[in-house]
Amino acid sequence: MAYSVLILDDDTDFNSLLTDIFEQADYAVTPLEDPLEAVDVFRENHFDLVVVDHRMPRMTGAEFMKVIKKIKPEVPVIMVSGYLENDTIRELISEGVRGVFLKPLNIFSLLERIAELIEEAKKYQRGNDGNTDASASSVEANNSNLRFKFESFPCKAAASIRFAERLYELRNFKSTLSVVGEPGANFRAICDDIRGFDDSHVDSFIYLTPDIFDEANTIALILKAQKSGADTVTCVLLEFAKMSNMQRALAAELAKVEGVFDNCEMALRTIFCVNGDLDTLFDSGVIDESLYILMGTAEVHAPSLNECSHDVPVIAQQLLVSIAAAKSVEVVPQLERCAIEFLLRHPLSGDYQQLVAALTSIVLAGRSDRLTAQTLKVALGEVSTSTPREGALAYLNDQRVDYTRAALKLFSGNSANVARFFGADVAKVEGVLKYKR
Amino acid sequence: MQQQRALILRGNRFLGSSLVDKGLLSMTDLELANEKFMGSIQGGEIRHASILTTLIYDLKVLDENKMIEYIVEEYELGLIDLSFIQLQSLRAINVDIDLCWATSTVPFDYVDGIYLVATCYYMSAPVIKHWKESLGGEIIWYTTSCTSMTRALEKIAETHQTEDEAEDED
Repeated sequence: MAYSVLILDDDTDFNSLLTDIFEQADYAVTPLEDPLEAVDVFRENHFDLVVVDHRMPRMTGAEFMKVIKKIKPEVPVIMVSGYLENDTIRELISEGVRGVFLKPLNIFSLLERIAELIEEAKKYQRGNDGNTDASASSVEANNSNLRFKFESFPCKAAASIRFAERLYELRNFKSTLSVVGEPGANFRAICDDIRGFDDSHVDSFIYLTPDIFDEANTIALILKAQKSGADTVTCVLLEFAKMSNMQRALAAELAKVEGVFDNCEMALRTIFCVNGDLDTLFDSGVIDESLYILMGTAEVHAPSLNECSHDVPVIAQQLLVSIAAAKSVEVVPQLERCAIEFLLRHPLSGDYQQLVAALTSIVLAGRSDRLTAQTLKVALGEVSTSTPREGALAYLNDQRVDYTRAALKLFSGNSANVARFFGADVAKVEGVLKYKR
Repeated sequence: MQQQRALILRGNRFLGSSLVDKGLLSMTDLELANEKFMGSIQGGEIRHASILTTLIYDLKVLDENKMIEYIVEEYELGLIDLSFIQLQSLRAINVDIDLCWATSTVPFDYVDGIYLVATCYYMSAPVIKHWKESLGGEIIWYTTSCTSMTRALEKIAETHQTEDEAEDED
């Protein structure tokens, strides 16, 4: 049986042309010119694929696509248009368009892409019908449209594509780069991507966390990199806001290649990984004037989960794999289709840290190798399962967190001073600060 | 003073980033300008701490005409030469001239509840935000060259001095 294609284009001539081409290629074509009529026809009939023009009166192609994606999200959509800005193309792809073709069309590549898309959709459908669910296999890997390797984000959303491209533009930064992200953002993976961009010279990356960042250790690591043949060392300062004042002063020397780093014979670069923007860090006294300017020279913001909801299913599946490996849990839960849909359609209110916490609890519970939307909602706190007593305890806990965070602000981010103020253990204070509602 | 210092830091940081983002400046040049800028700030020369003048006059790595052209085209701002404007004292509108120096911005007229403001820092969001908040009314923005701004502010300072002297005589 021929595959059925809905063609929507208000340009009668172009519509006829497309219809002829598709009919020649043995597709059953329904040509329409009015988007509103097309929505009704789409709702009432089965189509294997939709081809839509972008610029139309009454409804743009993007708007039309949003409407039909709500009706049958599994049907692939291809956009054709006379002219589109790059940003619009990215936006369309992040919204779910599976191909964008600019006029004049290359008919062969259009037909080739359409055949591929229909085949993919059928495979996907077969997977669902066989009750095996597309799960991880439908959570497609990273965007191949980028001209460079990038793995920290799947880049299915406009925000993550912009982030990847901005990072790539800044890859040859000379002295400092600030990567700003939500709590829990995978800064290490982001910096691994930066390392992967540069193949022109031997660049060694040193990852420094508050527990290992001191003068002797850093110099030893730099010298080790030098001995191994590196001509540039990039020092990545992770969890920068948690560093002590002394460590921050050392970070400033490192970034300026001054003080103890003055005698370094190789090129040194510094990447600051921070949560919250630089203005907030400056206002709260975490960084001084000099660091503020230094860190602000090249600043790039990693997208929040909210900004890249199309990436979230892939990120979640990757996290499930890595959490299971870290916790030595053999069964890795696979996202069910309903869980993928939930993540795609409900922007998360929390950040990466919350997502990691939710997925960790799921992995540790180890109830099933399938992860449903309901399990996910409960773990993310989107569905309340609490009793009145649990509700009251949660309220009291929230108050405790608010007070502790306020104290942290008063003490310029120094959790040791906060602990002293409350007469509590530092570990306990840090535990409270990590708590997410 | 502290607020002014923070505004200078913020305004210049954003201007630098903005110039790099829009392809008008290389990051290496910005790094160098930032070093000089911090030198001026730490040396107490706050009035002369400006990334823009460092880039244009000291390092000669930023083409001011190109930047102005960009602002006029991209943001559809009018270009103004303040030497053709009859500048008045800023005291009538309760504006601190030090803030004008700090942000290379000057409100040069007030017509029917609308401020006419010239700035060299239109590409710096914190500067624009600061003036919008402090003036509190509708603003028509203009861009101008650094030379025009410096001359205008010097002229206004002279007016202020004359006013002070007249007050002393009274």
